[in-house]
Amino acid sequence: MEYNKPLPKLNADSKPFWSGCREHELRFQKCNKCGLIRWPPSIICPKCHSRDVQWIVASGRGKVYSFVVYHIAYQPAFKDDLPYTVAIVELEEGPHLLTNIVNCSPDDVSCDMPVKVMWDDVTEEFSLPKFEPA
Amino acid sequence: MSLKDKYAIAGIGYTDQGKVPDRTALSFHLEACANAIEDAGLEKEDIDGLICYRHFPAASNENDLTSYEVAQYLGLTPSYLSQDAN
Amino acid sequence: MLDAGLCNYVVISYGHNAFSSDSMMKMLMDFGGDDGVFGQFGAASGYAMAARRAMHTFHTGPETWKHIAVGERKWANLNPRAMMYKRKMTFEDYYNSRPLVEPFRLYDNCLMTDGGRAIVITTEERARDLKHRPAVIMGMGQHNTATAVNYSTHLAGPTGAKKSGEMALSMAEITLDDIDACEIYDCFTYTVEINLQSYGFFGPGEGEDWLKGGTIEPGGRMPLNTSGGQLSEAYFMGLTSLSEAAMQLMGRCGDRQLGPETNTKAPEIILCSDSGGVSRCHSSFILRRG
Repeated sequence: MEYNKPLPKLNADSKPFWSGCREHELRFQKCNKCGLIRWPPSIICPKCHSRDVQWIVASGRGKVYSFVVYHIAYQPAFKDDLPYTVAIVELEEGPHLLTNIVNCSPDDVSCDMPVKVMWDDVTEEFSLPKFEPA
Repeated sequence: MSLKDKYAIAGIGYTDQGKVPDRTALSFHLEACANAIEDAGLEKEDIDGLICYRHFPAASNENDLTSYEVAQYLGLTPSYLSQDAN
Repeated sequence: MLDAGLCNYVVISYGHNAFSSDSMMKMLMDFGGDDGVFGQFGAASGYAMAARRAMHTFHTGPETWKHIAVGERKWANLNPRAMMYKRKMTFEDYYNSRPLVEPFRLYDNCLMTDGGRAIVITTEERARDLKHRPAVIMGMGQHNTATAVNYSTHLAGPTGAKKSGEMALSMAEITLDDIDACEIYDCFTYTVEINLQSYGFFGPGEGEDWLKGGTIEPGGRMPLNTSGGQLSEAYFMGLTSLSEAAMQLMGRCGDRQLGPETNTKAPEIILCSDSGGVSRCHSSFILRRG
């Protein structure tokens, strides 16, 4: 069946992240000068303005920083998912990532709950990092 | 230099509001501006600055609305024009 | 621009057909870049995310927000212009309104409005010669925390209200104790709470205590959003609050006029706020009776 939900925008900044996802790796930029692991990707470190950067692979473990539960489908493609949980996960390495909590009833999600990444292979080109209870 | 007590709000312009079908976003800007100018006791020739609020996307059957449009349709040629208010 | 001498009379305007056109659905779809990949749409989602983190960090939630929804509605019931003029709201109505993006219910959300609002700003001297007693700007401040909800590490506040409020109070050479009423940007109930808290009206988690007993309602000690605000009057971004503060200070508010009509203090000084981009930017204005 054709995937009819929005897909990420691929551009020079975002492409390495989504290429990593396709290989089931969460890749983030790490500043070679100050060590900040940053997200979203950018050519410049927001902390020290260094351009010197490497990509690291995150563990995929983290905790729920915050979450909301949708009872309305603003886009019809999400109707069958209702109610669904959108969360910000704070990864062990620091970055906050917008994602979904899956394999868990919305009623059972809480802030600071430990979670781990799982991969939703939605198209040939894209795998989406989603999270489930750890 | 402090702005304290140097400037003031001198007029307020209202429009019909709520559910008011068959009106463009531009039409509400124009009505509100004209009413505010009148409420202050001014003439349109007095107005030499126009700031329009940041805005949501235009409806599908309307063009993107900029301060230029609002000034043009009000017949204003202000010294200062911007789309910046917050 | 006025200060640089480039202008004498500036009009500030907002207008939209949000209720009757398809604009807001377009906004919902466009909002937030890649957020839609995970089903995150619109402004409610960001504020709901902030509110949830706040619920985890300090005492807040629907039991606090109901005072804001119901309090503003009581003002709207005095304002014939308000979209909710004829519709009363009880705490029970609030709790019974349906969940949209939890933790928010329908009545935590602001209105969508067809309409416009504009104000004229000029120098205090010029304003004195015009038709109405002017509302004088005593102080203003802005602060932009800039970082989006998705990446923020301080989602439970304080918002830009803290620094912009300090800036405005310092310019006005007053303290919060001098404020007679507030007109606070209220895209959601929680937005009002977190910004009052960030201004310093109460400490984290003390909102419910501060609000209960009708603090912000007609007859209350800190009238707030006296037109009904964007929750119950109409949504015109920052102009809902600025225009209402000016009208109150000019004494032109009829049944909802602060003073003896509503068993409140006749206002000398009103604090106004605007915020945007889901708490990424914040403006504070302090107006006084001219």
